Amino acid sequence: MENQDTFKDVVKDPGKKDARLEAGKSTLPQPGRPVPSRAYPGALIVVEGTDGSGKSTQLYLLKRWLEIGGYRLHFTEWNSSPLVKSATRRGKQRRLLTPTTFSLLHAADFADRCERQIMPLLQGDYLVLADRYIYTAFARDAARGCPPRWLRNLYRFAPIPDITFYFRAPLDVAVHRILSGRPKLKYYEAGMDLGLSYDRAESFRLFQARILEGYDKMVESDNFVVLDGTLPVNKLQKQMRDIVASKIDLKRFAPRAHAPEQE
Amino acid sequence: MPDSEKDKIGGGGTLDGSPTGAPAVTKAAGEEAATSQYFFGEPLVGFDPSEITGQLVVIEGMDGSGRSTQIALLQEWLESEGFSVQTSGLRRSNLVGRDIDELLAKNAVTRLTLSLMYATDFFDQVEHRILPALRAGAVVLADRFIFTLIARGVVRGINRDYLSGLYAMALRPHLTFWLNVRPETAFAREFKKAQAISYWEAGRDMSLSHDLYWSFIRYQTMIKREFEVMAKKNGFIELDGEASVSQVNRQLRLKIGEGLGIRATKYTPSAALAHLWR
Repeated sequence: MENQDTFKDVVKDPGKKDARLEAGKSTLPQPGRPVPSRAYPGALIVVEGTDGSGKSTQLYLLKRWLEIGGYRLHFTEWNSSPLVKSATRRGKQRRLLTPTTFSLLHAADFADRCERQIMPLLQGDYLVLADRYIYTAFARDAARGCPPRWLRNLYRFAPIPDITFYFRAPLDVAVHRILSGRPKLKYYEAGMDLGLSYDRAESFRLFQARILEGYDKMVESDNFVVLDGTLPVNKLQKQMRDIVASKIDLKRFAPRAHAPEQE
Repeated sequence: MPDSEKDKIGGGGTLDGSPTGAPAVTKAAGEEAATSQYFFGEPLVGFDPSEITGQLVVIEGMDGSGRSTQIALLQEWLESEGFSVQTSGLRRSNLVGRDIDELLAKNAVTRLTLSLMYATDFFDQVEHRILPALRAGAVVLADRFIFTLIARGVVRGINRDYLSGLYAMALRPHLTFWLNVRPETAFAREFKKAQAISYWEAGRDMSLSHDLYWSFIRYQTMIKREFEVMAKKNGFIELDGEASVSQVNRQLRLKIGEGLGIRATKYTPSAALAHLWR
């Protein structure tokens, strides 16, 4: 799974032949360049979890740790492409979005970030940190009724993360964190479009329960690293850093060595 | 209204026509039988097929094939026959129609993103324009459909199965017409219309040629090849787009009239549309 080159599978240079196929045809080994199992040398770390699970705080702390260490990294957030932002805002304000178009707009947003940031940076040997990834769409859009297989196909171009942290917090804890910190839930955020309840807080709770269920189903199939979102922040962060250091060869992303400066 | 046989004019099977296909478009047999009459694959979220009483008629063809002329004439004819008509077309959704226009004008968008924006535009129109009209028993005349969107994506290197899966929830048309013209003819017609050829119509984003004419011809030829593949799999009714407007229109009226139970398909455009009747 990890080595699959999903992006190149969906988007190829038109007219150009598949490099892997070409390499496969050659009977001679490519000098100095083994056939890559995937087309990029970078690494991708993703955090997922319901609202209020603590994932963004933890990713921020991980990012600070890596930044302070001087590693080459890029941070990307779900639903943040400027290209698609105005459409999403308009759709939400006027409540034009259906489960299908909600899902497609977020996919367009993700595709834009994927094509213009994530893929180029992975190819350019960067560590990419993503706050929410395609699993958010799988859990949330399926909770809205989109067919899971359709969703899987929709995001087939997404590079598969090297690590996916899943911050799991019990429903009551997560819902309490959100409701106590936010005066008013937004319409789509609360899942009001599903018609689960007229009460926003109750609707949010029911919606989050479905999403939590969706995440839990992916733990095995998508190799989630499950972390307990109720642990103290610093303990959780220590676990996260240990896992990153053990699974990713961080030296590769360290500042490039310079010749010692001459006085 | 047509009997159930007529409803199946789009032909069976998945959109990409491959029996093995992508996992995204294969389906449990029982479920498929229930929905394939209406969809290429997956059923649209929250949709009840029994509500459909109208007819979906799609007109496909490259720029300059005469689609919009024919649709204007067909709308007048159908209305004069007492049918309510709704139209749809690319970039006409309230949700993202204008956003796509802006993205195209800025030429600052990558192909996958653009493809997904078009898909959003398409499904917004399906849900807010086409389905409501079909529920109300109207005839929907679609100026292009998923086939153009798929062809444009495929020639730009986007995986065909991926696109088929993306549009698996698209409604299956009752009739799909393909106005087939040679790219050279299309070029002449388009040039006459605007005294220029647009960046996107010529496929300039694909770096096929710096020569605008050759870029147009090569791009439209690639699109046409994709159409040839889809025509067989999806039961397109191919019409010679180089025939006169009135001849093409007569054939369209015959086929559409058959589906709607209109016997006499005689039609002469009103004064307002007479200029189109060449």
